[in-house]
Amino acid sequence: MVVDPTAERFRDLEAQTAKIMEVFARAGYERIAPEIIQPADVFLDVVGEAIRGRTYVFVDPDGAELCLRPDLTVPACRIYLERHPSCDARSRYYYSGSTFRFQPGGATEENPREYRQAGIEFFGDGDEERTEAEIVALTQKVLKTVGLKNTQLYMGDLGLFRALVNAIEMPERWREKLIHDFWRRDTLAQRLKQLTTPREELETGVPDALLNALDPSRPVAARETVREWLDENKITMIGARTLDEIADSLTDIAADRQHGPLDQSGADLIEAYVAVKAPPKAVGARISDLMSQHDIDLSVALARYQRRLDQLEDAGVDVGRAVFSAEFGRNLEYYSGFVFQIVTQDQQDGGYIAGGGRYDRLLEAVGAPHTVPGIGVAIHTDRLLNAVIATRSRDDGN
Amino acid sequence: MAEKFVLGLPSKGRMMDLASEALRTVGLAVEKDGDERGYTGTIPTLPEVEVAFVSASEIATQLRRGALHMGITGEDLLRETMPDADTKLDFIAKLGFGAADVVVAIPECWIDVTAMADLEDVAEVFRKTHGRRMRVATKYTGLTRRFFAERGVTSYRIVESLGATEGAPAAGVAELIIDITSTGSTLRANALRILKDGVILRSEANLVAARDAKWTPALNAIRNEIMDKFNA
Repeated sequence: MVVDPTAERFRDLEAQTAKIMEVFARAGYERIAPEIIQPADVFLDVVGEAIRGRTYVFVDPDGAELCLRPDLTVPACRIYLERHPSCDARSRYYYSGSTFRFQPGGATEENPREYRQAGIEFFGDGDEERTEAEIVALTQKVLKTVGLKNTQLYMGDLGLFRALVNAIEMPERWREKLIHDFWRRDTLAQRLKQLTTPREELETGVPDALLNALDPSRPVAARETVREWLDENKITMIGARTLDEIADSLTDIAADRQHGPLDQSGADLIEAYVAVKAPPKAVGARISDLMSQHDIDLSVALARYQRRLDQLEDAGVDVGRAVFSAEFGRNLEYYSGFVFQIVTQDQQDGGYIAGGGRYDRLLEAVGAPHTVPGIGVAIHTDRLLNAVIATRSRDDGN
Repeated sequence: MAEKFVLGLPSKGRMMDLASEALRTVGLAVEKDGDERGYTGTIPTLPEVEVAFVSASEIATQLRRGALHMGITGEDLLRETMPDADTKLDFIAKLGFGAADVVVAIPECWIDVTAMADLEDVAEVFRKTHGRRMRVATKYTGLTRRFFAERGVTSYRIVESLGATEGAPAAGVAELIIDITSTGSTLRANALRILKDGVILRSEANLVAARDAKWTPALNAIRNEIMDKFNA
């Protein structure tokens, strides 16, 4: 009897999903079924406008702006919030379902507009490094259970970058900018260049006469100066940004000009850190080395990094074969700390099989009254099945 | 029966008059079928051509689908409708009318912001202060998204605006706008200023051919004849 290939595919995918669900359930996670149709607002506010270009957003007959969920993490956050409005519970959820992404070049088999994901989210965990290790180990267990081999684990740590920037001498607002710029390689390079530029060469676009009249140590007087300047130049105030906000921002520009530039060695250190890519165990030593050359103390962040490695090993993860990359985690805007991805060589269609990380600020952005630690992983089950089939046919061939 | 060659022209206003005038100048005068309100027409000197009068934005959509062989409309609408306009279309001639720039305009009172790079800094602070992203009013959602992404501006929300966009900041429905301007006087009248690197596109009316339309040797010959007249 000839089996229709799409029927066979469906059967295999269902069987694979059932196995994955069983592993999650046995690990003590609770199954949830997030809604497919989500309010568009939450996603656009949390993830930003970039995702709207790839999300199926529509307006229903009542005028509400809705979307087909472009991921399952935000919908899982909304379930947690609904069940625990005060956000003090420790919850471990798992799910399986479709997500929807517009494919600008047209949907293909490799890049479908609708694809399945299975995953877990852990909200309100206490012991961070231990939970991170648990999530990675559980993901690897799932992949092994369904027959995937030759996996490669990539890890990054956005917390280390933050700790580094905090340890380098500079005004707090420069730190915020650098941490924000981490997401975009070009923007970070531009920012470092701007911050290290000698002040007299700095182009601000703001009239010098105004900037020179602003004294950063007297912000209230500076606001008055800006008010007078606007009056004199007959510029009307419109829009939501207040005069005080504009004046404070100008005062920051004036302060940036008065403050000496960022030390070139600080900028070099940031560049050198971002370029670090090595086996995780070598990374600790390499970063320590970099720091001692620049006389920077990162011992607290590095101790946490080391503790995570220990926890990963205790959980049975082969850390020796993994790769740590300092810039890994770019383009995953809501992650805030540890990030990881698992790929396999037995994969025809590119992209990672599983990816996840820590997102301690996401719940608050979705509406929680305070920050809630959160960490999760999503597995692309279509890609996973393709890779498992490839593994099997290669093994059969040998 | 041979395939018809369909040329799309704007269906109303100055754009319609100027497009017809541009065709007349090269010896391709258009005659409307029926009365002045008709939506089809012919070119007596090139009888194989059927002229379809449709709205300027609809011309872009129909060119993308290949429902028109050629069309005259603004480059702004073509690029907004087709992110891949350069592979979907052959730009045959710039027609010298409908000149307008698609620009990023902010309230004039934002004296701390002069360039796109400043915008991202201000947007981040705005998000922290106001608890929401800065809103950008525009009808050019595609152009805006692409331009902002290229310039590393991410902390914003688009508010779709289908008319009187320049009034959005004063009305409090958006913080800044992306809109079309020819002289800048409407922007100034609304207390707005263009960022110094905020020109997204310098647009004018273009004659274009749709690569995805159905082309036969006979239709290609007509296209070449029209092209020759414009390039003569």
